[in-house]
Amino acid sequence: MNWTEWTEFLVLSLYFCGAALHIAAVLARKPMIQRVGQILTITGFSLHTLDILFFLTETDPQVLGQGPFYFSLLAWTLIIVYLVFSWRLQMHFLGLTATPLALILFSFATTLNSVEVILPESLLSLWFGLHIGTLFLSICLLAMATSSGAVYLYLENKIKAKSKITGLSKDLPSLALFDKVNAWAVNIGFPLFTVGLLSGFLWAHFTRECIFSWNPKELVAIVTWLLFALLFHQRLVNGWRGRKPAKLAIWIFCLSLISMLSINFFLETPHGFQP
Amino acid sequence: MNQRICLLGLNHRTAGVEVRERFALVDSNPREQGLITGRSPIREALVLSTCNRVEIVAAGRGNGDLSLLLREYWSGLCGVQPDELIPYTYVHHDLEAVTHLFSVASSLDSMVLGEPQILGQLKQTYRRGVEQGTAGVILNRLLHKAFSVAKRVRTETKVASNAVSISFAAVELAKRIFGDLANQTAMLVGAGEMAELAATHLISAGVKRILIANRTHARGCELAERIRGEAVPFSNLFKRMADADIIISSTGATQTVIRKRDIQGIMKQRRGRPMFFIDIAVPRDVDPDVNTLDNVFLYDIDDLKEVIEENLAQRRSEADKARIIVAEETEKFATWMRSLDLKPTILDLLARGDDLAQRELKKTMRRMGPKAEDPDVAQALEVLVSSLARKLYHEPLVFLKRRAGEEDAGPRYIDIIRRMFNLNDEPPAPDAHPERRGSGCPGRQKS
Repeated sequence: MNWTEWTEFLVLSLYFCGAALHIAAVLARKPMIQRVGQILTITGFSLHTLDILFFLTETDPQVLGQGPFYFSLLAWTLIIVYLVFSWRLQMHFLGLTATPLALILFSFATTLNSVEVILPESLLSLWFGLHIGTLFLSICLLAMATSSGAVYLYLENKIKAKSKITGLSKDLPSLALFDKVNAWAVNIGFPLFTVGLLSGFLWAHFTRECIFSWNPKELVAIVTWLLFALLFHQRLVNGWRGRKPAKLAIWIFCLSLISMLSINFFLETPHGFQP
Repeated sequence: MNQRICLLGLNHRTAGVEVRERFALVDSNPREQGLITGRSPIREALVLSTCNRVEIVAAGRGNGDLSLLLREYWSGLCGVQPDELIPYTYVHHDLEAVTHLFSVASSLDSMVLGEPQILGQLKQTYRRGVEQGTAGVILNRLLHKAFSVAKRVRTETKVASNAVSISFAAVELAKRIFGDLANQTAMLVGAGEMAELAATHLISAGVKRILIANRTHARGCELAERIRGEAVPFSNLFKRMADADIIISSTGATQTVIRKRDIQGIMKQRRGRPMFFIDIAVPRDVDPDVNTLDNVFLYDIDDLKEVIEENLAQRRSEADKARIIVAEETEKFATWMRSLDLKPTILDLLARGDDLAQRELKKTMRRMGPKAEDPDVAQALEVLVSSLARKLYHEPLVFLKRRAGEEDAGPRYIDIIRRMFNLNDEPPAPDAHPERRGSGCPGRQKS
């Protein structure tokens, strides 16, 4: 194994331990375990950052179009979004979804290495960095809003129904905090998503000389943006809180997942992963 | 003669409130009131008197029944015949008394299982005992142990977790909805006793502001002054309700005071910020349909009672764990009590000396290397260290034997010697020398 492979292996194991400890902490109801899990995740994250930097400096820009790298980047973004939430909102709970998800994404990145997935050449540029960076960030924010939204719905339902709050649900943070995650994700995520989408269309205009080509990827993206805009508007103007934004955020995340995974992998579009 | 502990008491289970009032012992002083005198076998005594229990715990020597003396003392203070106390009181001797006191301190014997007040009351009793000089070696140790047992029970079991009062349960629910209450405003609709109690809980939970709307405005103002809230005219109820996050309603109204459509309008004004209604009035003040609104939560008195019932059941199941801790600690205390006799202390002291001597001997032999193989040298060394150890401990032993016969001082000296030479194998204090802390002391082997 060379240096890069060693690093990747280390990152993978650290993320694995981090995820396992995050889950164990919830099951055992011991916040200490979660702290250890977070430290391991942060260590893995630092190594991961080095790995990405190394990849960017060493690799020929032509090869930057490799699919696996983007999985690695997505995992990296997810972890940083989680760490920011954990730091600013004390929302350590999100580690429960962020760490396993990052682990899965990163393991895609390492195992897919053997499968040569080449991204289309037209996607190589700084523009593309803008496109990817903003969209990845907003998708990761949405992922956090989704997991917190799901728990919000569960906990709110329990409180409304006056049913017993025992066991694991007793350790959950307050409803207000879950809603705050949603607010952050929407207030930051929507502008980023908009920038990402616009940069994509502009790039399409320059490279393919058509802004909108009616392919499924673009259609789903437009629908997602519309829903996201609705959520943003309702939160900001009509004071939506709690249930409704939680549900809508979950739908938007599902749509972006469909757009990202199934369309990229299975349909032939300019975003397709097929050579 | 052995040290004895005796506890005589009554509590909410053995006596009704009238009886408890009659036999309450406020401002007692066992020394001045003749319980501890020069001739009495009772050497130490403490009196715990709360609204739910009156207990006298005493330590002394002698084979007689200490409880008779305690009963005489108690009845004398209350101006009744000793026999009148018998139907309401219980007596515990020695380890039973220790177990009982530990259970009381851990709030396992309380009317509301796990309530925290009793520990404070016990501490107060002890403080008074120390001031009056009625707590000696035995009760000092017993009470200190009781406090540490209570702490252990509190941290290791969930006997004191989860709210078991209506207002406390409401505060816990509010925290579940809002998280930190520091930025929340509460509103009392109706200024009854229950509302006031809930308000004090909310204040101690850190709520930012309290508004009070009462039909009789003067009464509202009165309460507002007492709890440093703000009185609001009842006619402005819905106008000001938009500012409130937590609303506690307890009016005597026979009809619904707060309806769904009122709240719908208020929620628009609040731009969806959550509201938590706690309706402790019977008949209810708040329309149950309010709960169906988004971001509005409503709990009435029955809902809260149900929460409390569940929490109490959980506490009861935790009490078994706590009792195991109490039993363990009683056993430890019994070991200490037994050690207060002269004979085991002498044996322990000699064993400690012997142990030290043998350790040092081994070390020296190792250092001497081949020279130590000479049997004459080895024997000479052994004789040296053992006699040195024995002679070193000779003086303390003579001192101890002389003092042990003294009525009051005996156990105290034994206790001091035991602590001085660490015969109880207690862990070193946190401020002890690092060497002692790190390696532990050269421990006596327990037989």
